[in-house]
Amino acid sequence: WDEEDNIDEAEFVDDADAATPESAAAELAAWKLRELRRVKRERAAIEEAEAERAEVERRRNLSAAEREAEDREFLKKQEDEKGERGTMS
Amino acid sequence: MSAKFKPETTHKADATALLDDRGYSGLLIRGQNPALLFEKAVRDRITESYYWKEQCFGLNAATLCDRAAELTAIGGTYGGVGKPTPFLCLAFKLLQLVPQREVILEYLNFHGEDGGEDGDADAAGNGESGAVQNPQALGKRGEFKYLRALAAFYIRLAWEPVDIYTTLEPLLADFRKLRRRTREGFALTYVDQFVDDLLTKDRICATSLWKLPSRANLEDLEMLEPRVSPLGDEVEELDREDEMEEESDGVVEERDGSS
Repeated sequence: WDEEDNIDEAEFVDDADAATPESAAAELAAWKLRELRRVKRERAAIEEAEAERAEVERRRNLSAAEREAEDREFLKKQEDEKGERGTMS
Repeated sequence: MSAKFKPETTHKADATALLDDRGYSGLLIRGQNPALLFEKAVRDRITESYYWKEQCFGLNAATLCDRAAELTAIGGTYGGVGKPTPFLCLAFKLLQLVPQREVILEYLNFHGEDGGEDGDADAAGNGESGAVQNPQALGKRGEFKYLRALAAFYIRLAWEPVDIYTTLEPLLADFRKLRRRTREGFALTYVDQFVDDLLTKDRICATSLWKLPSRANLEDLEMLEPRVSPLGDEVEELDREDEMEEESDGVVEERDGSS
C-alpha cells in the first residue's frame, strides 16, 4: 500500500478466477485434488492413532516376562544398529 | 464467544485504549486483551505503519468493509523490515473492535439463521459443501474473497473451537484464488488452502495461532459431527485416479507453505 512499495507487475500474482472455461475446469480439478489430499491426511491421522492404541493394548496384555523379552530384543537391535558409532577411540 | 459486551461508548477511534496494558477495559477474548493475540513485535510494526495510521483510524465494523473490499492480498509482514500488510492491519483492527458474531458472519457472507451453531452449520452446509460454488457467480456468498479471508482469520483467532470448525469448514469448498504477500514477492494460494492452514497450522500471517483442539478430539467428546467432504462419493473415484496419476508422474500439484 505504501508509496515506497514498488510492486513489480511480473511478481503481482494473478488472482482472477475462472478467466476462461478451460481455466475454470482446471481450477475445479486442482481443488478436488487438494480436497482429496485433506481427506487422505485425515484418514491417515486416524489410522495412525488407531495403530498406536492397538499397540498399547497389545503390550498391556503381555505378561511381564514377555514384555521384558521384547524390550531386551529391541535394545539389542538398537545396539547392533549403533555398531561402532559413538564410541570414543 | 467469550466476549462480554459493553456499551459502544468505550470504543475509541485510535488504539490508545487497546494498547493500554494496565487500564484496558474493553472486550475480552478468552479472558484477555485481544491485542495480545498478535505478537508484540508485530503489534508495534502495525501501529507504526502508515496504513494503520491513515487508513485504519476511526474505522468501525461497517467502514472496515470498504477497506477490506480494497484488499489485494493476504499475508503477514513483508520486506526486509517486516512491514505489516493491510490485511494484517485490518485483522488487528477487528481485534480492537471485536464485532458481534452476526457481523463477522456477514463478512463471511453466510446468511445463517440466528439459531446458534447448528443453524450456522446447516446454512453454510447447504450453501457450499453440498454443491461447489461457481466462482463466477458474483453476488453469491462471500463475493469479496479477501473480506472473507479476513473474517476467517479473525474467527480462527477469536472464536471458540467448535464454532471455528463449524463455521470455517464449509469454506474448504471455496476454491477461488488468493494472492499471498510473502517476505519478498507474492505467492498464489486458495481460499480453501488458506482455511485449511488456519485449521491445521500453528503459525500463519506473522501470527502464532493459539492451540486449537484437534477435530478428532472434539469428535470424541461428541461436540462435533464427523466431517463429510463435499466431494462425497467422488472421493473413491478420485482415489483411484490419483493413484494412477502418481504412478505416471510424481509431481502433481504445487503446495505452498504459508508463513
